Amino acid sequence: MTNPRKRALLLSSFSVALLIGAWVFVTQTGIANDLFLPGPVAVGQAFVKVATKGYQGSTLLEHVGTSLYRILVAFGIACIVGIPLGILMGASRDAMALFNPLIEFYRPLPPLGLYTLLVMWLGIGEESKLTLLFLAALPGIIITTIQAVHSIDPVYVRAARVLGASRRAILFEVYLPAAGPTILAGMRISLGFTYTVLVAAEIVAATAGIGWMIWDAAKFLLSDVVIMGLIVLGLTGVALDLAMRGVGRLLMPWTR
Amino acid sequence: MKTIRLGTAILAATMLSATPALAQDAPDKVTVGFLNLVNAQLVTKNLGLVQKHMPGVEIEYIKVGGGGDMLRAIAADQVDFGGLGNPPTAIGVTRGLDITGIMVLNMLDYVEAMVVRTDKDIKSLADLKGKTIAAPFGSTTHYLLLQALTDEGIDPAEMEILDLRPADIAVTWARGDIDAAWYWEPNLDKAVKDGGHIFMTSGIMASRGYPTWDVGVVMNDFADKYPDYVEKFLAAECEGIAYWIDNPKETAAIIAEELSLPLEDATRMMHGTEMVPCDKQITAQYLGTTGDIGQFADTLEATAEFLVSQDRLPKALSREEFAAFLKPSYLEAVVGK
Repeated sequence: MTNPRKRALLLSSFSVALLIGAWVFVTQTGIANDLFLPGPVAVGQAFVKVATKGYQGSTLLEHVGTSLYRILVAFGIACIVGIPLGILMGASRDAMALFNPLIEFYRPLPPLGLYTLLVMWLGIGEESKLTLLFLAALPGIIITTIQAVHSIDPVYVRAARVLGASRRAILFEVYLPAAGPTILAGMRISLGFTYTVLVAAEIVAATAGIGWMIWDAAKFLLSDVVIMGLIVLGLTGVALDLAMRGVGRLLMPWTR
Repeated sequence: MKTIRLGTAILAATMLSATPALAQDAPDKVTVGFLNLVNAQLVTKNLGLVQKHMPGVEIEYIKVGGGGDMLRAIAADQVDFGGLGNPPTAIGVTRGLDITGIMVLNMLDYVEAMVVRTDKDIKSLADLKGKTIAAPFGSTTHYLLLQALTDEGIDPAEMEILDLRPADIAVTWARGDIDAAWYWEPNLDKAVKDGGHIFMTSGIMASRGYPTWDVGVVMNDFADKYPDYVEKFLAAECEGIAYWIDNPKETAAIIAEELSLPLEDATRMMHGTEMVPCDKQITAQYLGTTGDIGQFADTLEATAEFLVSQDRLPKALSREEFAAFLKPSYLEAVVGK
């Protein structure tokens, strides 16, 4: 009860410990078939093996690096395209009417369905993988940016205009600072969504990448590698999210 | 609505499987996972032979893309009967899947082959260096590709070998992204007709001592509960195989219909795969007999050793352990009748 932060940390540690405890329990007692759920020790051994000897020609670091490269490039482009587009759509009814149908149409399409088409159009190289990840990242960013712009108090904009601010000044001094925190939240959700599409993006003709490693290992029923890959993927996701929050705090000191 | 029904179905299924007291002599439903390739299972399916041998039982057919997918379908307990090539079988048996091999679905000849782009001037395996080759990883063809390269002392790292499913290979080939691919009909034909020619077949590899085949498997749970129905299933498949052998014209028409192909293509593909009559399946060349398991066990042992060398399997089982996976007794009963 003393310190709410300490309490939160304690509770979080508890839930993680509970999960690991349950994992150890079901694998040790033989409730879970170790073909489908190997124990923590086996997964740890898979980690050491893939980290040192590699999996099918690439080390763990190379797999993670390849995937992070794909995610970050696609996500970066999505931010560069999505944030300005979102601001434009939020500020202008015409822009909204112009772009919204397109985004609303492709947003619910299942990534794998979209991917077969992308492979036909763009081939099996990086282009189709990056495009799929980009398309996964884009709508979340645009939609939250629109929301962020809509939720700006119109008084701010009017006041700035009355004071003679240029369009450019309004964008950089009013829209972006006011909408920043919501946009950042949208980016974080969008990055998470990009992660969920990673395995799909690496199914076709990849020979490296953490998503591909998981997919390939599953084919050979190497479930220790699959689980290890998922854990690594999850941890890099958390690390990226923390990094984004850190950058957000640096850029927008008024949020905290 | 659909999800609700599915939910109830899952609930009902779990309740049924959780109450052995309710176990009856006949299953309510039999699920057959079949590979999307050219063999007599298409005939059996088309003529409704399994249904004929199991009146009153609901028969569901699930089309599975390749060996890797089938392995997962089996591991997830989604099928009662399935079919696997020798590499997925070696993987599944080594990993302790609860399955038993009960019949020979087909022997793979030129129905599986490596197609190369004619304008790339590929005359030998060594010419593949620096090229892009596709094969579905974990399948018979992936295994044969690596085996063929290894035998000629070529390092697979000298070329780019991509993991693509047959349908994706067809698309990628049409785009010109790959120079060669080792896969199977009905999609193989598309590459041959579009600037490719056959360079190597699975039949040639068989004559070099690497036979590849698909074995029919049953889930052990199902076999323990309904041994009679394993025999009924085999009786139906044997009837399909006999029909294939006795009525090639009608069979071609069925394959053309099942795979939406022109009749002449279906006829050619039919000749690329070998159907083994059921009485021949229980000889030393194939399953063998109870107590004297045939050459399939040797193929599995060799395949497993190869997969271990490729770091795809943690350990190789012995021939005895693979022999234990094969159980010709069901087929013996069917043939003996």
